[in-house]
Formats: sequence, C-alpha cells, structure tokens
Amino acid sequence: MKKSLLWIVVLILSMSMIAMFSLAGCKEEAAEEEVAEEEVAEEEVAEEEEVVAEPVNLKFVGWEVSPLETESVEKGLEIFMAQNPNITVDYNPIPHDQYTSKVLTMMLAGTCPDVFFCFAYDYRSFIKGGNLLNLTDLFNESYSIDDYIPSSAAIMNADDSIYGISSCTVSPVLYYNKAIFDEAGLAYPPSDPADAWTWEEFRDVAKQLTIVEGGKTVQYGVYGLENSYMFSALIMSNGGSYWNDNNNITATTINSPETAEVMQAIYDLRVVDGSSFLAAQIDPDVFISAANMLQTGKIAMLIDGSWALQELATLDFEVGVGALPKFKDAITHGQAHVHAAWAQTEHPEEAWALINFLSGDDYLLQNVRAGLWMPHKKEYYTEEGIAKWYNPDVHPEGFTDLAPYFENASVEPTAVNANLKVNDIFNEEMGKFLAGDEDIDTVLASIEERANAEFAAAE
Amino acid sequence: MKLKKLLYRESVWAFILLLPNLIGFLMFLLIPLVASFIFSFTKWNLMSPIQWVGFANYIELFKDETFLKSLWNTIYYTLGTVPIGVIISLFLAVALNQRIKGIKIFRAAYFLPVIGSFVAAALVWSWMYNPEFGLLNYLLSVIGIKGPGWLTSLNWAMPSIIITTIWKGLGFNMLLFLAGLQGIPQSYYEAADIDGAKWFSKFLHITIPLLSHTTLFVVIISTINSFQGFDLIYMMTNGGPARSTSVLVFYLYQNAFKYFRMGYASAIAYVLFFLILIFAIVQFWLQKKRVIF
Repeated sequence: MKKSLLWIVVLILSMSMIAMFSLAGCKEEAAEEEVAEEEVAEEEVAEEEEVVAEPVNLKFVGWEVSPLETESVEKGLEIFMAQNPNITVDYNPIPHDQYTSKVLTMMLAGTCPDVFFCFAYDYRSFIKGGNLLNLTDLFNESYSIDDYIPSSAAIMNADDSIYGISSCTVSPVLYYNKAIFDEAGLAYPPSDPADAWTWEEFRDVAKQLTIVEGGKTVQYGVYGLENSYMFSALIMSNGGSYWNDNNNITATTINSPETAEVMQAIYDLRVVDGSSFLAAQIDPDVFISAANMLQTGKIAMLIDGSWALQELATLDFEVGVGALPKFKDAITHGQAHVHAAWAQTEHPEEAWALINFLSGDDYLLQNVRAGLWMPHKKEYYTEEGIAKWYNPDVHPEGFTDLAPYFENASVEPTAVNANLKVNDIFNEEMGKFLAGDEDIDTVLASIEERANAEFAAAE
Repeated sequence: MKLKKLLYRESVWAFILLLPNLIGFLMFLLIPLVASFIFSFTKWNLMSPIQWVGFANYIELFKDETFLKSLWNTIYYTLGTVPIGVIISLFLAVALNQRIKGIKIFRAAYFLPVIGSFVAAALVWSWMYNPEFGLLNYLLSVIGIKGPGWLTSLNWAMPSIIITTIWKGLGFNMLLFLAGLQGIPQSYYEAADIDGAKWFSKFLHITIPLLSHTTLFVVIISTINSFQGFDLIYMMTNGGPARSTSVLVFYLYQNAFKYFRMGYASAIAYVLFFLILIFAIVQFWLQKKRVIF
C-alpha cells in the first residue's frame, strides 16, 4: 500500500517536471521537433537512393523563414540527388535568430556542414575569418561576375574573389489593393519605374485614400515606410548613401540633407497628414499581418519586400505591384543571402556542384514562380528570361514592367555592412526621431558620431 | 582500521554515484563560469584568434553609452517591479488567506501566470497593449481617454514591461507569502483580539514582523530575477523603442550572439554578477538587524 503510494508520488513528480521543462522550452522544442521530422524525411529520401560507387554525403544547413522555403530546398535537393547519384545531401534548417551563432560554433568545433546559407552581412567577416572556401577558380570556369545583376554582384564580389554564390534577390516594392483605388476612382500606382510617382503625387494619393470616420481612421493611405529596410530605398532614391565604401566601410555618409528630407517626409506622412501609422504599432506575429491589412482595406497601399507577393497572391483579393515613389531617381535596392562552402570541407568539388545547382533554374524558378524571390542573373530579365519565371497566377498585371526595377537595383546598405552594432545604432537613433523625441538633424549627427566611433573601435 | 577502509570505500562510492551530476556541473556551469571570466579579459569574435586585452573591456564598458543606458534601464526595471510586486503580492496573500469557500480557485487563478510560458504571456500582453487594436486602449477610449502607444512610446515601453512582469511573477511571491502567513501561530491574533486590536494594527504589529523572513527572501529573489530580466523584453519590445527597454542581460545577449563580442559580453556578465553579489550582501547585512526570528 505504502509502496504504491510512493510510486504515485514519483509519477506525479516526474510528470510535473516534464510539464515544466516542456513549458520552459516549448519554443525551442517545437523547432527541434521540426528539425527531427525533417531529418527523418531526409533519411527516407536518402535510403531510396541507389547505392553508387564512392558515395559522398554532404551536410547542408540553412534557416527557415517560411515553410515554403524549406519545402523548395527539399524539392531542389531531390532533383540534385537524382542528377548526382553519388551525392547524398542532409539538409537541416536552423532557426533564423540563432543561425550565425550556431554556424560559428560548428566551425569552431570542426563540425561545420559542407555547404550553408550565409547572410550577406556575415559574408565579408566570414571571409576575413578564413571560414569560407574560395570558389573563384571554380566560378570563373563557367561564369562571369557580369552575368549577375549589380546588387547580387556587389554582394558576391569580395576584392575580386568569390566565396559565395547568390541564388535570388529581393527588393522593397509598393503593393496596393486594386478595389480601393477603383472605388476612389484613382489611377493605379505605375509599375514601370520610368513612370514612378514623385513623392508629392504619392503623398497626395495617400491622403485621398485615408478615411476618417467619427474621429477614428478606418482606412490608412499607406503603411510600411517606417522600417529601415524600406526607407533606405527612398534615401537612395534621393541620392543619399549609407557608407563611404561598400567594399571596405570605415565611415557612414548618412548625415546628409538628402536623408533628412526623406525621413522628414516619411514622418510628416504620419504625423501631419495622418495617412499612416507607426510601424511598431503592428506586430505581424501578434496581431495581423500587413498582407491581411491590405486585403481587408485597413490600408490602401503597402510598402513591403518583394517576397510578400507569395503570401499576397494566396489571399482572396486583387493585388497590384508598383514602383516605390521616387525623390530623384526611381530606384530600389536588392539583396539576398549567398550559398557558401566551409573552408575545411572534405568534398570541395561536390560542395561546388551543390552550390552551383542552387544558383540554377531547377531551384530558382520554383521560388520565383511562387512570388517569393526574384532572379539574380541578367539572363532572366530578357524577354525569354522573363517567360521562364512569369506566372500570371501570382504576378499581377504589369509586373513585367517592374522587371528592370529589380535588375538595376542598388545593393541594400545593410547587406554589405558586417558591423551589426552600427545597424542597431541607426535603428535606435531613427527610433527617437520617429517617436517624435528628437529632430532629424540631431539624430543624423548623433548616428554619424556614434557609428563612426564604432567603426573606428572595430578596426 | 576496518571502519576507515569502509569510509574510504563509501566516499569512493559517493563520488562515483555523484559523477553524472558532477560532470554536468563541471561542463555546463563551473568550466563556462571560469572560461567566461577569462574571456572577459580578451577580445574574441569566434573567428579571429583570441586576443588578450587586460581590463580594456571593463574600461570600455563605463564609456559605452549603450551599456550605461542598459544599466540605468535595469535599475529602473528593478525599482519598478520589486517594491510594487512585493507589496501587491503581500496584500493578495493576506486576502487569500481567509477561510472562505472556493478560495482555492482564486489562489489557483493568481498562480496560473507563473506556470504559463513567457512566450504566451508576451504575445497576449503585446496584443492587449497594441494601440490600434488592443484591449487596453479600447477600454480607455470608452471612458474618453486616448491611450498611449504602450510598447511604442519611449516613456511607456518600460512601464508596460514592468506591469507584465509584475503580473507574471505575482503568483509565485503570493505563494511564498501564503506559506509564511500560515506559519504564523493563530494564538497571536487571538491574543490581539482579546486586547481589542483592529485589523490594521494586527497586520502592522503581528503579520509584517513575523513575515520579515519571507519578505527578505521574496525581495532578494525578485531583485535577482529582475536584474536578470530578459524573456519578456526580448519578445515584447526587443529592447526598443530607441533602446528604452534595453536591460543588461539583453545588451549582453546582443553583444554575445548578435555582434559576436564574446569578451565584451563576458565582461558585462561579470559586472552584472558583482552587482547582484553586492546587492545581496547589503540586503542580508541590512536585514540581519531588522529581521525578527
């Protein structure tokens, strides 16, 4: 009797311990489970492969931003393994936030995967640390850096050497809900960058599309500009710049009248016109995604990354895509991660084969057709090239007019800056301005001083 | 002789049986502790070779605007959460120490947030705080007040985090106080009743002094917890807006796992350690004279 009581106590205690641990680690565990499941799936795929002479097993890691991306990697790997029967690839996604620290830890421990995704901003510091395999010779055998669009080339080209290959690009663009424009009797935002709206035209439309009822705004003209990824494109459109030298940054050039003009205009859009609201007021993870706001008419226009088209295309409303409003030139910026191999990989040839495959049609086109990516090479922006990826189910009418926008994009500023503390200084100071706490000139002077001190200290 | 041999043997056995635990302690606690102390005198980004820099990290810390801001934010966070949290949970414990039917339901209700996950708490509260769609500003608008952008305003972000932290930790402190309350012999209250003492004077002269032990414990634990506050901040504001909620552990995390400045991050960890140590010593010393045993 007593013994069984003891057992019950032990059982209850251990169950509560398990419950506690699962509560504490529920987030990580979920991620781990996913990984474990995928591992199982991968093993199954691997087992199906026929045994060939001299089999090589490649380890490959990436991050997962959307399930679609992991799915497409796995689809791509199946094709790759069918084409290369002697190579098997184990793919493991790592949570996005922990990605760099895990990869660096694996490198230190000597267990780094042969091939991995590499954030554009980590690329240069990884090269400096001697962690990446030099692909220059292998790359030059079949390609030229000039085959790539300028923004991708700017990321890949590190002092005339290539250590990582881009496989796509993404850029901020302007989305709009066609029904709202129709109802207001307004012309759609132009797709062709040559006809892009000036800031005044854009501001005027945003004002007209803002509807206030009983003191409460029920429809905002636009949302999304108060995000450094988006407004940096406008700063560049006004002739402003971020760094003194993209290849070897030692100082910021952000403190300019061009930047001040753009930031003040974005601020006024919200504070003076009431056509927008503070970016941080909506946490997409918590409440409602920007795509849903556009769908339900909470906003008429949305400034977001080109990847958002993948989600927008699945929603039940007519979405349009146009060029961003311009200040001086109609330009956007582009960036994306690269695929790289570990410097100490035992299979450099096979690693290159995989990296090369990930840069080609079989892997790229499925993601471009889904609306998640845009192509990274110039050949995809010719008439035949566009025909390869254009998908009328996803890409709205007039989207092809927008193609030169991606092709000619400048490189996104944070993609070439390895000093992430500087980015945080930018966000912190800009945050003070956007919160109405300090004026733009004070903030820009402060960014310049603090960022340059940071660059000097990091030397 | 025989006994000595046995003792010897027993200690060997003890050691063997403790080994699994000891290995874990060494690998995951003691070695990292010592290692990070050594790292705090170096410069290392996980890539370039480790570079010995002496006290440079510690000197840099006190010139680093962001560190000083995070230090101030930590103090603000602690001053905001500890006194209010302790007082509310004490009153709650007294209120829930009654013999009323269904009191256990109330106790469970107040304890629930403690066992809930931080992720869930952060999500639900972020939702409530949302200035556009959130419940709080809706309720305020009903009575004609335009609510602030709770998590988006430089002035309101920290108080918002403090409110959530207090809510999350209330049940745990309350439970400790309840245990303390139930350890006070009923005879004191009966004696006071006979003397005609009012509720408040009984509370002031019996409950509070006899709870001083528990109170000391609760204050120390909550202070240490709030010095180490991270989860809610990481999830609700990510240190923003404009670093107004960046606390020491958050800045440490950023330095270690975002900027990869392992030496600098270790130095922050040791500054935090000494702060907590000094605080705990002062508190024990102060209360030694005050606590009634």
